[in-house]
Formats: sequence, C-alpha cells, structure tokens
Amino acid sequence: MFDVNEFILKKAKELGFGDVVVLGYEMDRRQVRFANNEITVAKNWHERKVEIFVELEKRVAGTSITELSGENIERTLKALLSTLKNMSPKEDYYSIAEGPFKYRDIPETFDKAIVELDEPNEYVETAINAALEEGAKRVAGVLYTDHNRLYLTTSNSVEAFDEGTGIEISVRAFIGDLESGHGTNSVRILKKFDPESAGRKAGEIAKIAQKPEQGPEGKFDVIFDPLAFANLLSYMSFMTSAFAAEAGFSFLVGKLGQKVANENVTIKDVGNIPNAYGTRKFDDEGVPTRETTIIERGTFKTFLLNTSLAKKYRTETTANAGLTMPHAWNILLEPGDYSKDELFEDVRRGIYITNVWYTRFQNYVKGDFSTIPRDGIFLVERGELKPIRNIRVSDNFQRILENITALGKQLHHIHWWEVRTPVFTPYVLVKDVGITRATM
Amino acid sequence: MHELVEFAVEKALELGASYAEARFEEKNGTSLTMKNGNPEGLEVISDRGIGVRVLVNGGMGFASTNVLTRESVAEAVKKAVKLAKAAAKVRNEPIRFSDEDFHKVYYEVRMRKDFREVSVEEKLELLKKVEEDVLDTGINVPMRYLGYSDYVWHKIFANSEGALVESVIPKVSIMYNLVVLENGQMEQAPFIQRAFSGGLELIEKDEPWKWAVKDVQALKKLIGEGQKPPEGKVDVVVSPEVAGIAVHESVGHPYEADRIFGREAAQAGESFVKPEMLGERIGSEVVTVIEDPTIPNSWGFYLYDDEGVKARPRYLIKDGIITEFLTNREYAAKLGRRSNAAARAINYNREPIVRMANTYLAPGDYSFEELIEDIKLGVYMVSFNEWNIDDRRYQQRYIGREAYLIENGEIKHPVRRPILEITTKALWSSVDAVGKEVEYFPGTCGKGEPGQGVPVWMGGAHARLRGIPLRRP
Repeated sequence: MFDVNEFILKKAKELGFGDVVVLGYEMDRRQVRFANNEITVAKNWHERKVEIFVELEKRVAGTSITELSGENIERTLKALLSTLKNMSPKEDYYSIAEGPFKYRDIPETFDKAIVELDEPNEYVETAINAALEEGAKRVAGVLYTDHNRLYLTTSNSVEAFDEGTGIEISVRAFIGDLESGHGTNSVRILKKFDPESAGRKAGEIAKIAQKPEQGPEGKFDVIFDPLAFANLLSYMSFMTSAFAAEAGFSFLVGKLGQKVANENVTIKDVGNIPNAYGTRKFDDEGVPTRETTIIERGTFKTFLLNTSLAKKYRTETTANAGLTMPHAWNILLEPGDYSKDELFEDVRRGIYITNVWYTRFQNYVKGDFSTIPRDGIFLVERGELKPIRNIRVSDNFQRILENITALGKQLHHIHWWEVRTPVFTPYVLVKDVGITRATM
Repeated sequence: MHELVEFAVEKALELGASYAEARFEEKNGTSLTMKNGNPEGLEVISDRGIGVRVLVNGGMGFASTNVLTRESVAEAVKKAVKLAKAAAKVRNEPIRFSDEDFHKVYYEVRMRKDFREVSVEEKLELLKKVEEDVLDTGINVPMRYLGYSDYVWHKIFANSEGALVESVIPKVSIMYNLVVLENGQMEQAPFIQRAFSGGLELIEKDEPWKWAVKDVQALKKLIGEGQKPPEGKVDVVVSPEVAGIAVHESVGHPYEADRIFGREAAQAGESFVKPEMLGERIGSEVVTVIEDPTIPNSWGFYLYDDEGVKARPRYLIKDGIITEFLTNREYAAKLGRRSNAAARAINYNREPIVRMANTYLAPGDYSFEELIEDIKLGVYMVSFNEWNIDDRRYQQRYIGREAYLIENGEIKHPVRRPILEITTKALWSSVDAVGKEVEYFPGTCGKGEPGQGVPVWMGGAHARLRGIPLRRP
C-alpha cells in the first residue's frame, strides 16, 4: 500500500498542506462467538483503509478513505483543504515528529501460523470442554484471530511498516444463575496460545462460587484478581493521556511530580513488549514505541504524549501518538514479591474479587468511581474462601493506588471486552476498599 | 449499490445458504471538537461497506468488506458461508428464524436545515455559542470539552425472503463535558449529549447552550449551598432523565431476548428475567414502560430494523406486568412469536443483535406539584453522574448530580450526591405516582462484541418512589 501512501502525500503537498500523516491498514480479523456450549456466530472482517491527518497553518483535520482510487483521494484532499481554510486554527498545535527513525523487530508479534490457520473452532471446543470438566454447566465466550499490516508515511521523512498477528480467547463459565467464573488468554504467536487455561480458570471459579450469600458492606481489605485489577488499570490508562487531562477526564490533573500511589506502585506503558496485544513498532507519527514510566514508586512522572503536546509542555514525546489523542499501548503494573498464597494468607478478613465490570465515574477529575464485581466473589477468612454476591466497589482511584499494600510476583496479560487497553498486572491487595450493596 | 447487495444474497444461496441477507451502509458527515476554547480539529466521516449474514445447516456466519467490488463481495460471501458451515458443527440445535412479512420500501428523514449545506465554520459557531454562554455566566469552568457531529446514514438491506429496505437517516448531535471549580471545590457534568435524527434545525431549536448554562449554574449552586442528603427511608422523585436511565438499564436490557437466552453471557451478561416471567408483576400498577423506535426525530429512530422487520411500539411493562421482550428473528422463533423488530447493527461490519431504540416510562396523571406536595422528607433527583448495574440487571445504583431536598411539599436547598442503590423489583414496586409530561435524553447503548454503541433515547415522565433507603457517599 505504500504506493497509495506516496500518492496521497504527494497530492497533499501539492495542495499546500504542511504536516501530513498517512496511515494505511490492511486488516483480517476472525471471530467465533459461543454461548450455552455452542457457537452462536462466526465472523470474518476484511478491511483496507487509509487514515489521513493534515495540517494547514495550525488548522488540523483527519479522515479515513476506503475507496482508494486516485480520483477519490484527490477529491477528499481538496474537500479537506477547502473546509480547513474556513476553520479557526488550533493555537496549541505544534508539529509531528521529525523522521526518519530506525525500527527494531519486536520478537513474538508476528506468526505465519496464525495467518495460515484455517479453522480455529477446535480451540473453542478445548476451552468449553476444560470449563465443563471443572464443573461448569454453560460456557460462553469469544475467540479472535488477527492479522494486521500497517503502512505509515509522513511529510517528515517517515516510511514504516509493521505486520502483526494475534489470537485470544475470553471464556465465562456458569453453573447456576449466580455462579460464574471468567478466564482469558491473549497471545501473538500460536504456540503460546492456551485456551484450556482460560476455560479451566473460568470453570474453577464458577465451581467454588456456588451458593453465594449476600455480601457485606463497609471497608474491607480486597484481593483483586488480575482480571479485576486490569479493568481499573485499563480505565486509568486513558487518564494518563495528556489529552484526557486537558479535557477534564483525569484524576491526575495537576499532580505531576506528586505522590499519587503507594511507594510499592510503579506503572508503565510499554509499547514494545514482546507477545503483548497492544505492541507496535511505532506510534501514529512514526516514533519507535518504547517503555515509559508513568508512576514511579508512587510518584506521578509523566502524562502520555505525542510530539505536539510534548512541545506544548516543553518536553519529549513518549511515543504514544494518537495525533489528536495520545494513548497507551500496554499498561504494566510492576510485580511485587508475594506468592499468590502469601497474599491470601495476609488477609485475616477480606474479600477476593475475581472480575469487575461497569466501572463508572461520579467525577473524573476527583477519580470517584464505582464498579461491579461479577463472577466469583469471596469472603476471605484465614485463607478460607466463602462465596458472596451482590456487592459494589465504591471508592476513589487515587485512594485505591495509595492503599495497595502487596503485589503478587507474577504478571498476567489481560485483554478482553471490558479491558480495551491491554494490561499486565499481578494479584493486588488493597486495604480499606469501600464496599456497598443494595439494601432493598 | 442495490445490484451489489442483491448479488451478495444470490451468491450466498448459490453457495448453499438456507438464508442470506446483505446490508450496504454508508455514513458521511463531519465531527468537530473544541477543548478549552481551542478548535481541536475536524474529522470528515466517510465510511461504507457491505456486511453479509447467512445461515447454513443451522449455523450462522457473518463477513464484511469495505472493498466494494463483485470479487471482494463474493469473497466475503464465501467466507460467511464457510464460517457458518463450520459453526453448525459446534451447535446443539440449528438456528431458526421466525416467519415475517417483508416489504420493498424506501424511507428517509427530511432535514429542514440540511447540515450538508452548512459550512464547518457555522457548525463551529454552535460550539462557540456553548463556550461563550458558559463563560458569560461568570462561573469558573476551567475544563470545557465540546463536540459536534453530523452524518447521513444510508442503508440498503436485502434478504433471501424478499425484503428490500432502503433508508436515509441524518443524525446530528452536540456533546459537552464541563468542570466547575468554585471556592476550591470541583464538580463535573461529564458527557452530556443533545442528539436527534434530522436536520440542524433540531439542534438550533433545542439550544444545547441553555442546557450547558443550566448545568454549570446548578453545579455552582451545589458547591455553594449543597448539604448532605437525608439518609434512611425517604421519598424520592426522579426526573425524566433519571427515570430514563433506570428504565434503560433495569427494564430495557433485561428484556432483551438474546440476553435472556444467554447469547450475551460472556460480555453484556444475562438477565434476571426468564421466559416464563411474561405476565408476572414486576412493578406497581402505575408503571408502564414503552420501547418505541418510531418516535419522529428521535435519536434511536427507525421504521424497519436491520433484519427488514417493520418496527412498532413495544410495551415491555404494562400496568406493572411484564408483557413483552425485545426480540430479533432468532429469539422470536425460540419464543414461538413474531419478531418485534429490535435487531440493530451499528455499521455494515457488525451483525444485527437485539437492541433498544427509545425507551421511556409512560406518563401518568400527576402534575409535578402534585408529586411533591405530600412529601414530608425526600429528595428530587434531577440528573445523575455515576451509575451502574450488575450483569443480570438487578442491583443498580444512580448518584444524583443536581438534586434537592424536598421538605413538607417544597423544594429546598441542593443536596450532594444522594445515592439510590436498589434492586430492580424494589425500584419499580415503590413507584406510586407518575407525572404527565414525557421528556427524552440521548445516549449511546453499549452491547455486543465487537462493541456496538447504538444511538438511543431514554426518558419518561417524573416518578415518585415511596420509602426508599437513600444513601450518602
């Protein structure tokens, strides 16, 4: 597709645009959805499109083109030009990155075996059977395979290509109406794919979650399963974007250099981690992706930036463009030194939450939120697990980060419907978490 | 494009599909954002493609492409058929669709002020008007994120049972997020939207800048005069906005038949409602909840769903009794009924699934004054921020943003964050009176995987809830 990119860039420059970014995609995606132990639908998507970003004297615009004829490209660019001429400038726009850059291949991001995989249904059956073997009665979920090619050309001497694959599964297992468990597995190369572990975990949790009683309310020490904590970190990832902070969607506003978490908390965005679902070689303006420490031992170090926002704040880009909105690639919470058993032994009376969903904010800038535990929830008393139900986590993001008292040794890679930005997290113990419930 | 859509259906039948449908969709429009007074940029919306859904041996396959050639569409059809065949092998029983009457029909929503003929500068003026009116209040609003969006949504749907439905529906909306900072205290009105199916005249008539001003004034008053809400059992009057989110979350969602039968179990969840609950009482006799895609100019408007079935109002609860579920053809067949046209897809590359359109609490016969006149102690919840509900749609919570104390039949000072955390049955059983006037509020309803955020209206009349255990933060 580079010939199309070159053509767009040439025509855009001829029309007088300043900064130009052309990002071509070729995507092949396959999905198998299942519920009640059977496949409900299987899907295939084939898409080819080019996203264009143009700048004209600090006026910026973007669009995507799917009809890639020369005629349509010229018509689109001319329409953008005439529209932009009548617009007010974005005074805080600076520029895109100056290339060229050198890119390194990132291991375990492309696997021909996934491209050539004819039929993924056997993996679905493996996951369903594993959950059923653990005692589940109904199993539901989704499997995806992905093959993406990315072609980037900019007016600042960038020409870059990346090709990636992935396969992932998300499995939810049910016994009755109130007993369920959830497991996921997301990888970039086929031989590391383990659908059985996802099904087994879902089934195991459902089994021990049987006959739950109404849960308590108050302040509790809570052990968050990686699946549950990944949800909170995924929401937090959006709040680390400088764009979110300016727009009023972040509890980190005005807190650069301040303590926002417990000393044992270090959170990074890692764009180039092998075998991670969000990994890419370069950001949307061609800067090679890298590791950025957002919170270091409890102190907030940086928002995620693109080149323009970095210039506005007189610093360097963190390679997280999004040209309008910088965003995280893979969020990583550094592990601690607790084994899973040690973590549970540390809790005299607390709650183990295996999954959450429906996280919503009362106020983004304050960080007040609530989220609903779903699937197995357990009272933890001296290592014993007693199933409970119908509780809600009602607290504040910063207070949760400040109250992290222990972190597991092992990182888990989480990416599913409720965790859009991929997350690496261990088991996390947070003290004094607010728990509420309906009393009527 | 008709030819390509019909070609896809014919090709699928040729390859062995027992049922086939194809849907061409095209969206063209403009999106603008403004952050703290700065125009953030312009996005030209231009997207089109074809999606094909088939049944083969009782398995379902779906494929889409945005390369609109016969070769590419044929390839998509081939994939859909192949996927359906393979899926059929991992099924306990074949998928069947209900029998329906189909039509060849064209409909469109006309614009009195066609936004395609309005300059971007003029559209940006609408956002500047919100910005200026908010700043003119003199209230400190340090973070202001505004968005304008319009697009014309053109669809052509055909299936192998004779349906051919073409529609052209313009969509226009304004969104704002405002953070009020006064006396060192901060309150936020996040993601408020005003939205319609129709022309720019609807936005101009609605005057979103007035809504924004009302919001920041209410938040300032809350900061200055807000007190703790009462705790324990009190009466609560909810506004049409709060009634709207409650009917959407705790009536609309659990009545979706795909959820009831577990198809959404791994994502949006299941439901406390079971098929045998039709006819059961779920609320007091003053509670009637209607789901109606046909409301003119509504955000969730359509006349035929994405399976080609003609839409009509659906009574989910009538006089407190569960009367109807939302269905598509697959789940109508399971229930032994006809579809009530709730199948919607957000784009050509998504399958149609069971969705809401415009859900509202039907009006009663009380004036607002009558609703509050005999309340000794209570709260009037005008708007909400944080809300959520469990995945069986039973245990929910709504936190008031703008809310006031009601004392001896009068509205008094603002109260901070009254929390309504309650079960679905308790909520609808406690309603003893409903107001006369209905209002609607737009939203984007999330469901499906990959996610499909569909435009919906939520609303209704004011409602009075008796003896509710209200909480404080």
